[in-house]
Amino acid sequence: MTTATMREIEFRDAVREAMSEEMRRDKRVYLLGEEVAQYNGAYKVSKGMLDEFGPRRVIDTPISECGFAGMAIGSAMMGLRPIVEFMSWSFSLVAADPILNNAPKMLYMSGGQFGCPIVFRGNNGAGGQLGSTHSWAVEGLFSNVPGMKMVIPSNPYDAKGLLKTAIRDDDPVFFLESERLLSMKGEVPETEYLIPFGQARTARAGTDCTIVSFGRPVNLCLEAAESLEKEGISCEILDMRTIRPLDAGAIVRSVKRTGACVVVDQSWSFGSPGSEVAALVHRECFDDLDNYVHRVHTADVPAPYAYDLEQEYLPNARRICEAVRSCLYKA
Amino acid sequence: MNPMPVQVTMPRLSDTMEAGTIVRWNVKEGDTVASGDVIADVETDKATMEMPVFDDGVISQIMVEAGKQVPVGTLIAIICIEGDDAASATAPIAAPIAAPIAAQVAHAVAVPPKSAPHIAVAPNAASAAPESPAVASQENRQRISPLARRIADELGISVAAMRGSGPGGRVVKQDVLAEAERIKSGASPRGDLVHVASAARSERGAVVAIGAGGSEVMLSGMRQAIARRLVESKSTIPHYQVSMRFNMDPLLELRTMLNVQLAPQGVKLSVNDFIVRACALSMAAHPFFNASWGGDRIIMHGDVNIGVAISLPQERGGGLVVAVLREAQRKGLREISAETKALAEKARVRGLSVEDMAGATFTISNLGMFGVDNFTAIINPPNSAILACGAAVEQPVVRNHQLVVGHEMQATLSLDHRVIDGAMASEYLQSVKHNIENPATLLV
Repeated sequence: MTTATMREIEFRDAVREAMSEEMRRDKRVYLLGEEVAQYNGAYKVSKGMLDEFGPRRVIDTPISECGFAGMAIGSAMMGLRPIVEFMSWSFSLVAADPILNNAPKMLYMSGGQFGCPIVFRGNNGAGGQLGSTHSWAVEGLFSNVPGMKMVIPSNPYDAKGLLKTAIRDDDPVFFLESERLLSMKGEVPETEYLIPFGQARTARAGTDCTIVSFGRPVNLCLEAAESLEKEGISCEILDMRTIRPLDAGAIVRSVKRTGACVVVDQSWSFGSPGSEVAALVHRECFDDLDNYVHRVHTADVPAPYAYDLEQEYLPNARRICEAVRSCLYKA
Repeated sequence: MNPMPVQVTMPRLSDTMEAGTIVRWNVKEGDTVASGDVIADVETDKATMEMPVFDDGVISQIMVEAGKQVPVGTLIAIICIEGDDAASATAPIAAPIAAPIAAQVAHAVAVPPKSAPHIAVAPNAASAAPESPAVASQENRQRISPLARRIADELGISVAAMRGSGPGGRVVKQDVLAEAERIKSGASPRGDLVHVASAARSERGAVVAIGAGGSEVMLSGMRQAIARRLVESKSTIPHYQVSMRFNMDPLLELRTMLNVQLAPQGVKLSVNDFIVRACALSMAAHPFFNASWGGDRIIMHGDVNIGVAISLPQERGGGLVVAVLREAQRKGLREISAETKALAEKARVRGLSVEDMAGATFTISNLGMFGVDNFTAIINPPNSAILACGAAVEQPVVRNHQLVVGHEMQATLSLDHRVIDGAMASEYLQSVKHNIENPATLLV
């Protein structure tokens, strides 16, 4: 693509463009969720979509995640391609049964008679002082379930390309956005593009240490790498883009080059994508490692409300720098 | 009770030993030991040996971790005799003692302060108790990252004596690369690494470039010792060789008969046992073959201590050792056979002790079992001669003016011309030949 076709838009605009383009392209695609229609979205992601597509395809729901998620799953089984917006993934927990127990298992349990082409999307991770119950990062919890796909974009370009792929995918896709990224601006082409699942992006090339991350923390990794560069440490950052499927090859190839690996994951450490990546690296790159895989996660406590505590609780550039130095025996 | 800290130092386990590597600690701090307990395995320039202690007490401190090489005399552990206060034991003598000590295990008993409180060893032992032995051995083994190990393998760098810069002394990539750089530049060893290879290393000539697919193999302690001693032998001893063929038929016939008759007793005599016996018996009339060059004199040895070269399997690091059969002139075939078997077994399984290898006055090297016809050997200093034996080969031979098929063995003496002249060598070989070809002399 040429620069002439690029323009700078916000993450939320990229998400809206992806939905609108796919709804124009495919009449089976529709959006439902709390405040998505008349209010233009709680975070203005769906701004203008009611006007363009009308109330039959942009549907306001009651505050009843279990009900509308289940209804959407039923419509997907019958041939539609719903996009379910959760105002926050924290609220998806009341819809755990339909989204975890029905959607990912439907194809298997029906012996292939019913698929479930559905996208669940919404804000994931700490939004900033929302307290313990509203600050969920659900990567660890949900990626545990076979049959689903999980996408975590870190920037507007990826968000648009990955969401379009998600909407066209025949399996249930959990699409994890971040309230902290919605206003992030980035270059997005005017022409159509899709980003395939399972292909990591090298967000920064380097030689000394591979940093594996996904979603918002990728940006913290970039910040950390910038400051480590001044110390003479060259970091390679892999933005995984999708956790399921996971681009294991990209991780292995990079770690075999650098001999060191740090995983940065905003979910809790126990039973998380981060621990899965660490296990993968220890298995596939055992003879290439100069140190064990270091992991930076959200602290193993409920999210604190106080600002300073929350900042320390989340992965941040300082903690990433410390992990990289320790992994390279430069602590 | 007076506290009695006992310092355990790196023992000098062989005459040529300058430094030793603690291969493995069998004890951990807090363990109770009794006199005679083997507390560690120590690799010297020749072998890996068990290191016993001569005191009853508690290991209060281990100063040198497994895998590390230290000079002889270095303080490696402290034992507290019962009633001793571990703290008082370590405090005055924390600094390593570098004075060379020739004793097997030197005991320097520090005088404790009179006011030292009586503290039973129990608390020390108790604090260590929750650790399982498995955990302790984990802690004593060398730590190395997989990447560092792979790079070391690829570059052929020995990491056995390295203490790394990582946590707990873990050897990491940068340590191996630094060592590679050091070897490449020929710089002096790092302060915390002790290398005894300098003598052997200095023998290597021009720097040889490594071609594609090539690599370097770093020297084990044994390989360094072999290199050093044989270069010394070949470059300082005026070698020459004398060969003779022996008719082996009478001996082989006798051996077959004896082995059949002795089989119920589990005795199986080897050809080499007969050769050892034959060489030993011939010493009485030819004492210069049991002698050493002494610079301004020749030292005549009384007992005939025959060294037998034993090659070690690769899993024990390869190389060769010389096991010594003492007073061989007094020993019969049965005894020679049993002792040789025991020494060879010990060498290949556990490793020989210093006593097993010390004091040879004459050496026999036999490659007959590998089908070798003949070869020459390098004298094992301070011997004056070494006999190299090939195989007893079935071949056409002339006996009583008739061409017949018989077994012959070729034996080649390598000799120190400072001690033994050619005519003497011939006479000795004649004597050995007589013994071999008239094997009844070997029986009675």
